[in-house]
Parts: sequence; C-alpha cells; structure tokens
Amino acid sequence: MTTYIIRRLLMVPVLLFGVTVLIFGMLQFLTPIQRSALYIRSEPKTDKAVEGVIRQYGLDKPLYVQYWNWLVGVVDNNGERKGGILFGDFGYSRVASQPVADLIRTRFPNTLDLTLWAVAPVILVGIWLGVQAAVHQNGIIDQAARVFSIVGTSFPTFVFGLLVLMIFYANLQWFPPGRLSDWANRVVLSDEFTRYTSLLTFDALLNGRFDIFLDALRHMFLPILTLSYINWATFLRVTRSSMLETLRMEYVTTARAKGLPERDVIFKHARPNAMIPVITLAGFQVVGLLGGVVITETVFTYPGIGQAAATAAAQLDVVTVLGFALFNGFILIVANLAVDVLYAFVDPRVRLS
Amino acid sequence: MPDIILDVQGLETVFKTPEGLVHAVNGVSFELKEGETLGVVGESGCGKSVTMLSVLGLIPTPPGRIVAGKARFNGRDLLKMSGEEIRHVRGAQISMVFQDPMTSLNPVLTIGRQLQEPLMMHIGMTRKQAQERAAELLEMVGIPNAKDRLSDYPHQYSGGMRQRVMIAMALSCSPQILIADEPTTALDVTIQAQIVDLVKRLRDELGMAIIWITHDLGVVAGLAQRVIVMYGGYIIEEAAVGELYTDPQHPYTIGLLGSLPRVDERKQSKLYSIEGLPPVLYQKPQSCPFAPRCKWVMERCWNENPPLETISPDHRVACWVDTKTGRSRS
Ligand SMILES: Nc1ncnc2c1ncn2[C@@H]1O[C@H](COP(=O)(O)OP(=O)(O)OP(=O)(O)O)[C@@H](O)[C@H]1O
Ligand SMILES: [Mg+2]
Repeated sequence: MTTYIIRRLLMVPVLLFGVTVLIFGMLQFLTPIQRSALYIRSEPKTDKAVEGVIRQYGLDKPLYVQYWNWLVGVVDNNGERKGGILFGDFGYSRVASQPVADLIRTRFPNTLDLTLWAVAPVILVGIWLGVQAAVHQNGIIDQAARVFSIVGTSFPTFVFGLLVLMIFYANLQWFPPGRLSDWANRVVLSDEFTRYTSLLTFDALLNGRFDIFLDALRHMFLPILTLSYINWATFLRVTRSSMLETLRMEYVTTARAKGLPERDVIFKHARPNAMIPVITLAGFQVVGLLGGVVITETVFTYPGIGQAAATAAAQLDVVTVLGFALFNGFILIVANLAVDVLYAFVDPRVRLS
Repeated sequence: MPDIILDVQGLETVFKTPEGLVHAVNGVSFELKEGETLGVVGESGCGKSVTMLSVLGLIPTPPGRIVAGKARFNGRDLLKMSGEEIRHVRGAQISMVFQDPMTSLNPVLTIGRQLQEPLMMHIGMTRKQAQERAAELLEMVGIPNAKDRLSDYPHQYSGGMRQRVMIAMALSCSPQILIADEPTTALDVTIQAQIVDLVKRLRDELGMAIIWITHDLGVVAGLAQRVIVMYGGYIIEEAAVGELYTDPQHPYTIGLLGSLPRVDERKQSKLYSIEGLPPVLYQKPQSCPFAPRCKWVMERCWNENPPLETISPDHRVACWVDTKTGRSRS
C-alpha cells in the first residue's frame, strides 16, 4: 500500500511540470508587454516605460529564463518579489482589478460548495439506483433509469439550465439565482458570522444558522440540478452495467452456492467488485463538473470561478484565464491522486502489487 | 445396501436465448447413494453443469427455467423448496466446487473471510471460532502456514492452491454431497493429480458422496464407482465403472473411450476422435441426438429417439443399435 502510494506521489511532480510547461507555452502567444501582467498591475503607457518593464522582467529573454522567472518571480527595484507561481502569485487580473490568486480565493469556495452538493448525491444515490436497476433488471427502476439516461445524455447543459431557469425562476419563482438573499448576505458579512471553511453551506451549519444554510441551498438548487443531471445519467448507466457484469461472475455463483442470502451476495460479494470502474468515473466526473461550472454559473449568475473565467475570457484577459487553467490543472492532479488511493482501498490486487 | 440420498427424476431445463429456446437438459434421471462417487462425463455443452446447477437452484432465472422434474434429497424435493429453504441446503448439505479457481473466488475478499462465511452462516460459529476453523480447514487441504495465509487475497494464491481453498470451503460444513464441476480442467497436469488425490483422501476421511463432472474418462476411472455419460442434455449411458470401460454400449461412449490418451502417450493431443460437434437443441429431437455423428446409424435412429433402457442390473443405455453386431437391439 505504502509503496503504491509513494509511486503515485512521485508521479505528481512530473505531472505538475507537464502542466506548467503547457500553460507556459500558451502564454507565449501573448506579446511581451501583455505578459507583463504576470508581474505588474498596470500596463506601462510610454515606449520608454514599456522597454524598461520588458528589460526588468526579462520578457525578451530566452524561454528557459522566462519559464524560471514565471515559476519563482522577479525581484524589482524595491527588493519586492513580483510574480512567481510557486509562491502562489498567478499574475494580475486587469479585468477584475485584483490579483488572479485573490480572485481564485474568493470564487473557488463558491464553486467547490456547488460541486460538492452536485457530486455527493450523484455518487450516493446514483450507486444505489444503479445497483437496484441491475439487480431488478427490467424492473421499474431499471426502465425509468434507462429512459432518464437517454433523455439526460441528449440534453445540452445550457438548454437544460435555461429551461429550469424559465420554469422555476421566472414562472414559478421557487428558486432564485445568485448566491444568497439580501438579509442572509448581511448576516454573512457581519462579524457574528465566522467563515471557518469559506464554503457557505458548511459555515452556515457550523455557525448554527440553519436558515442561512437553507437560503444558500435554495439559491444553489437549480445550478446543482443543471450541473449534475448528466452525471446522474452516466453514473447510473455505468454502475448498472458494471453491476450486471459482476453478477455474471463465477464468484457470485460461488457465493450463492455457499448458501449466502441474496442480500449478502449482492452487497458483500458483487457490489465491491462492481465499484472498481465506478471510482474511475467518479474521478472523471468531479473534474468534468469543474469544467461544467462555466456554463452553469454563467446561466445562473452564480459567483463562482466558472463565471469569473467566462468574464475574463470574454474580455480577452488571457493571463487570468491561463491562471485559472493552471489552478484547474492542480485540481485535476489532486483528483487523480485521490482516485488512485481509492482504487488501492477497494482492490487488493492494486494495493498489494 | 446404502441409502439413496439424491434421487433426480425427469429433470428438464431450458434457456431462453435470442436464437430460440435451448433445451439444455432433457429428462435426466439418476440416483446417488450415500458415500458413493458418481462420475459424469460428456463433451462441452452436453448439459452436465446445468443439470447440477438446476438441482441446487442456481440456474440464472431468466434466462433459465426448470420445466419438469424432481430432485429428492433426504426425502424432500429440492426443486420445490423456497429460496430460503434451499439456501440452507447449499453449502451446508450439498456444496459445489467449480471449474476455474481463478474466477471462482472473490478477488476483493480475503481467503479467511470467504472460508468463514459458510461456517458462521450454517453452523452459527462466531467470527473467532470460524477463523480458527478456517485455519484448520486450510491445513486439511494441505496449505502450508495456514494461519498466516488467511489474510491473503486470492491473487496471492496459485491456481492449485485456490482450488484447494474451494474444496476446503465446500467441505467446511461437512456436507453429504460434494459436487465437483470439472475441478481440474483449468489446472496443470501435475496439479490435477494432486487435487484428485486430495479429494480421494478427504472422501476416505469424511465419507461424503461425490458427483465428479469431467471431460476426462481417465480421471473418473480411478475415482468413481459409477459413471453417467451425457449427450445433448440426455443421459445416454450409465454403468458401474468397470463395466463401462470393459463393455461400453453406446457409440458415443465407445468414441470417448477410443480417444482416451494412452498412459504412455505424454501428450493429450486429440481428446475426441468423434467427428463433428455436439448439438445445441432448439427443439426436442425426434431422432437420436447422436445420429448425425454415429458410425452405426440406422433408419430407426432418424425417426425415434431411443429411451434409456436397462440391459443388465448395473447398466443402462439409450441406443437402438447393438454395437457388437451392428444390428438392431431387441
Ligand atoms: N446462461 C445460459 N444461457 C443460455 N444457454 C445456456 C446458459 N447456460 C448454459 N446454456 C446452454 O446449456 C447447454 C448445456 O451447458 P452446460 O454448461 O451444462 O454444458 P457442460 O456439459 O457443463 O459443458 P462444459 O463441459 O463446457 O462445462 C449448452 O448448450 C449451453 O449453451
Ligand atoms: Mg460445465
């Protein structure tokens, strides 16, 4: 187990290097002076100033020097370090008028909050439904799941999002867009509300403010639905087919031949094996959800990282967009690591190899 | 005379497939006496496994369905039992070992855990008692360092050892009947012999009856007292083991025996010298199912399927032809 995890961990620097090289490569499409946003706030106006900035931050130096500067930053005349992604400085977002890292810090918790609420029910209920559909093949759950799968996977996110926005927000007025109601927002911004985790729903619970928790969920409901309905469909389908395949395995017959009750055959013998491909899918889905937030957050004006990325992209703020891309790369690597560890946890053949 | 413990009569099992209804078992009847070892032989697809799985209620339904028959065990019909009742027979009184030890153990559960399950389930042992017993069982089937190897997973065992585990598991609750479905087919030749020896030893110690399914008439000769030969879902010949080898009656049996590899020939080059393949029956045949491959085939074979008839106290055969004379049996 330990050697397995160490081997996976050793892969992390390699992957990180790959991601940074990729992003750095894309930064080269910018002019040297556009790249100055990696180090300083405002673009210099006069030709002389431009030249000075280019020289000071080595923006005309060979690529490997620039790459190094980008990693560790450049010390300016006042002895201050500017830039340096290794120190968490992703440059300055001229569109948002704040450092990219600050933008991520304020926006990402909202996105994470949303994603967690979108992912957890999918995984828990999706597995349950998938197993039921497989065990009672052609039963009611199975039939409903099949119809839902087809409808779900053939509906684009933005259409679905706009549709529920029209029905539940405009017509029925059940669920509002945005993040919080005004009264709740005032409480959250006041001193009596402590931000333990930055995740609003969790903080609300930790502060004992159930009303704020519900208000936040009410605002998140439609984005959650839009973000996750496709995942429901795929999760169900994959769990179902994996479970069906496992139920045909000889060791399942062995379990039955031992006289175990069907409940144990399904939940103790078949399901753990059927989960192995489902874990991979869960990993992909979490990562995919983070990509999906761009559309969903934009449709529902939800102040997450996806919405910020969309705004930055619309105004050609490439430094900001690539900063987000870099951050997304990190998340991806972490998610992959989590999947690998989970694998080892369920499959002894991986753990003990 | 020992009692009959399993009495199967007129068993018929079908499978619904996209190509049509497959008649896998077509009225199979046989008896098993206490402590007896019964060999069941026949080519692939002739219904050996389906017969035994039907008896234990392990046919996947759908697509499978038992359409007729009885299987009396200790005075009760296994085929009429509820799911809950037959569950207490499986693994406790009748247990089964399968062909491929690489796939018949659960890869994500420890060997110990898998051995403990039937003990806790049928005998009501606590986990601790079951663990101790599991170690004893592993020792019984000849696995060294049994105690330390309980926490291993199947992939840490070799094929032969896994089959030993399967046998230990099957015998853990001292069943009256052990059904072994080609337990050596997937193993190396030397390992095969070891497994056969192990089962012989355990039979002498524990005294259970055994149904040993195989392709290999050679193995059965040294193990069984009585042999059933199956073809196309029918029993086509049944005899005491000595009689079957010295005086086979059915052309199919003769073919099987004729293709037995000699002891002095190391290679098992061609197992069956009978031309053609066994049929998949989408209809119950109106002719002898073996007729298309039979050297002795006569007019009558194409028009009537021969019933299984007793030709001597220990010998039953289903064939119109007397293979000694090549003429009709009468
Ligand atoms: N699940 C199933 N669905 C459809 N047909 C089946 C199924 N299981 C078995 N059969 C059919 O039943 C017939 C008998 O199969 P069975 O497994 O009993 O053969 P066998 O004698 O055990 O062969 P082998 O030596 O290969 O194990 C075959 O024709 C097979 O196609
Ligand atoms: Mg078989």
